[in-house]
Parts: sequence; structure tokens; C-alpha cells
Amino acid sequence: MARAKIKRGSTHVDMTAMCDVAFLLLTFFILAANFKPTEAVEITTPTSVSNTHAPMKDAFTVSVDKDNRIFLNMTDEIKGDVFDELVQEKNMKVTPEDKKYFMATGFIGVPFNQLLQFIRIPSDQLKNIKLPGIPADSTNNELSEWIRAAKTAGMGKKLNFLIKADDNTKYPAFGKVIDAFKKNDEYKYNLITSAEDVPPGTPLYEDNLKAQHK
Amino acid sequence: MAEMEVKSSGGKKGPGVKKGKKLSTRVDLTPMVDLGFLLITFFIFTTTVTQATAMKLNMPKDTKDKNQENKVKESGSLTLMLGKGNVIYYYYGSDPTKMQTTGYKDVRKIILDKKKNTPADDLFIIIKPDKDATYKNAVDVLDEMTINDINRYAMVDPTPDEYGLIQKTEQAGGVK
Repeated sequence: MARAKIKRGSTHVDMTAMCDVAFLLLTFFILAANFKPTEAVEITTPTSVSNTHAPMKDAFTVSVDKDNRIFLNMTDEIKGDVFDELVQEKNMKVTPEDKKYFMATGFIGVPFNQLLQFIRIPSDQLKNIKLPGIPADSTNNELSEWIRAAKTAGMGKKLNFLIKADDNTKYPAFGKVIDAFKKNDEYKYNLITSAEDVPPGTPLYEDNLKAQHK
Repeated sequence: MAEMEVKSSGGKKGPGVKKGKKLSTRVDLTPMVDLGFLLITFFIFTTTVTQATAMKLNMPKDTKDKNQENKVKESGSLTLMLGKGNVIYYYYGSDPTKMQTTGYKDVRKIILDKKKNTPADDLFIIIKPDKDATYKNAVDVLDEMTINDINRYAMVDPTPDEYGLIQKTEQAGGVK
């Protein structure tokens, strides 16, 4: 007797739809990603319970690394104006090309007298060079001059002063940055930190709970 | 979907003509899907982790005029001095010689005790990070102010006397 043949179904699944979805999501995430600007040096920020996001508009960021060197970052909206202001104040001789280089650099990490050479260094080589950082001593406080230039250039705008320091930065280095800001009558700063959970049972934790139930 | 139907135009072919075998135009998309999801995973991880938060810090104006300085009631003040090696030295009132030692884990209890036993208007916490304290120490203590809902606090440098005391204690305790 002939056995009844069972028709074998194909195990192939049509992957086209899944592929479509995967690449749609991929496109979305690529577009939504805001790429990190070139960091001066690696900085591990301390954690805090603060949950406000760091302001990114008109931001003037002073970074202090673990060797207590000071670096400067500015957003593009104010960068050009700050450079013009500084050139005027210091009577530097610059060409339009210099400004183009300046706009392209991600951060500033040298004293004024090396600035024009510094901005010509391609960013991929910066990692190999030991940068001196911006001086902020009482005798030669260039950081304070940068802040003054930024304040003059950003007149009418609300500048956000951010301070980003490493876990292991010594407190006096941070104090120097604060002093430079104070010299320019700036008393409000944003300290960049990473988020941390509020420990349970503390007053802040209970306040947050109450706010949630309202 | 993606297949195209290829119609042989002539209908029946002659007896000697072999029929061309129809090849499937289907492509196996599995590796492509794999790659897609791998990249998605990568982008998800790199985007969400980099969100930085900011902690607001307002510093007081430096004033030379003694009359403008904030007066702190001695009974309500707690001074925290941040020393080397993640150690906190604290004292109540205005006598640094009575200072005691604690760490960052136990400082919350000290602050809360002080808060409980002091009228809210008198409570004032003075934070004095010394030369060997790290930035993390300072942020941790400032964070502690937020956590414990302390409204009146200030960050100042320690006086030379206090710094001397801290160093003496550190030497005695063998802190490096």
C-alpha cells in the first residue's frame, strides 16, 4: 500500500519585512544621535542626584582634567564673536584663515602665545601632544580674560557657564576656575555631573515621592 | 513581492529547444537583518549614556566689608572640612579644636541629626574643602545638601589654623 505523502512546508520565512523595520530603526537612531564633540581629554565626572539636563545652548564650558589642566569649550554660536573680541583686546594680528581654523577646533588648551599654532594642529594629532592647558594663576590669569571676552561678545545673550571637572581633580584647581569667574562677576555655574539615584529615606527622596502623588 | 514573473514570449517552443530553468530571485536577508539590529544596538547604547546632567552652583560675592558678611549663629553652625583620602572633619559651633572625623557614608547622619536639633532659621552648614580634597569630594558634599534639603550653606576655604589642625590629625593618623 502506498503511504500518503505529507507535503513538506518550507521553513523559509520572508525576511524582507523584518529587514525593513531594522533599517528604519537604524536610520532613526543615527539621525537622533547627537555626536559627542571632540573632548579635550578624558574626564570622568562625579555623580549627583541633580536631574536637570546640562544646558547646551550658548554654553561656555571650562573643563579641568585630573592633572589640573584647564581647557575651554564653546558652542559655535558664540565662538566666532569671542575670537573677534579677543583679537581686538589683545591686538593680535590674525588672518581670516586663522579664524577659520579657530572655528574648526573643538577645544582650546594652550596659552595665548601658542594659540595660533595650536589651532592649526589637526584634531587627530592632538591626542599625542601634551597640552599645557590655559593658565589661571593670580599672576597670569588668561582664563579670566577668556571669560571677559565671552561676556563682552555674548552681551544680550544668556551665557551658560559650565564647569566640568574630573573626579580626581584637586579642589584648588576648581577653586581657581571659580575665582576666574568671580573676577568677572559671574556667580552662577552649572557643574556637569552624571545622574545618580536619590538614596531612599532621605528628605529629598520623600519630597520627590510627595510630588509624584500629587 | 520582489519576484518578477518572466513570461516566455513565444508560448510553445520547438521540440529541440530546452526549457530554461527558472532561478529564484529570492535573497536570504537574514544576515542583513542581523547586521541591522547589531547597528541599532550600538547606536542605542552610545546615545543614551552620554546625557549629562548639571548641578546648579551659586557662589556668594566676595566682600571685604565685615558688615556685609552673613552672620552665622554659633549654635546653628556645622562646619565640614574635607581632607585628604576621603575623610571629613567636622565640628559644631566655632571651635575647630573639637573636631571629629567621619567619612562620606556617615556624614548624612551627622547632617540630619544637626538639622533635627536646630531651629530651621539658625541652621547653617559651612563647607571647607582643603588643598588635598578632590572635586568629587566637593560635589558629593554639595549633593548631600540637596539630598538632605539644607537651604543655607556656604563653601569657603579653611583658615590657616584649621588647615594646620587637619594636617596634624592627618600626620597622627598616618593618612597619606
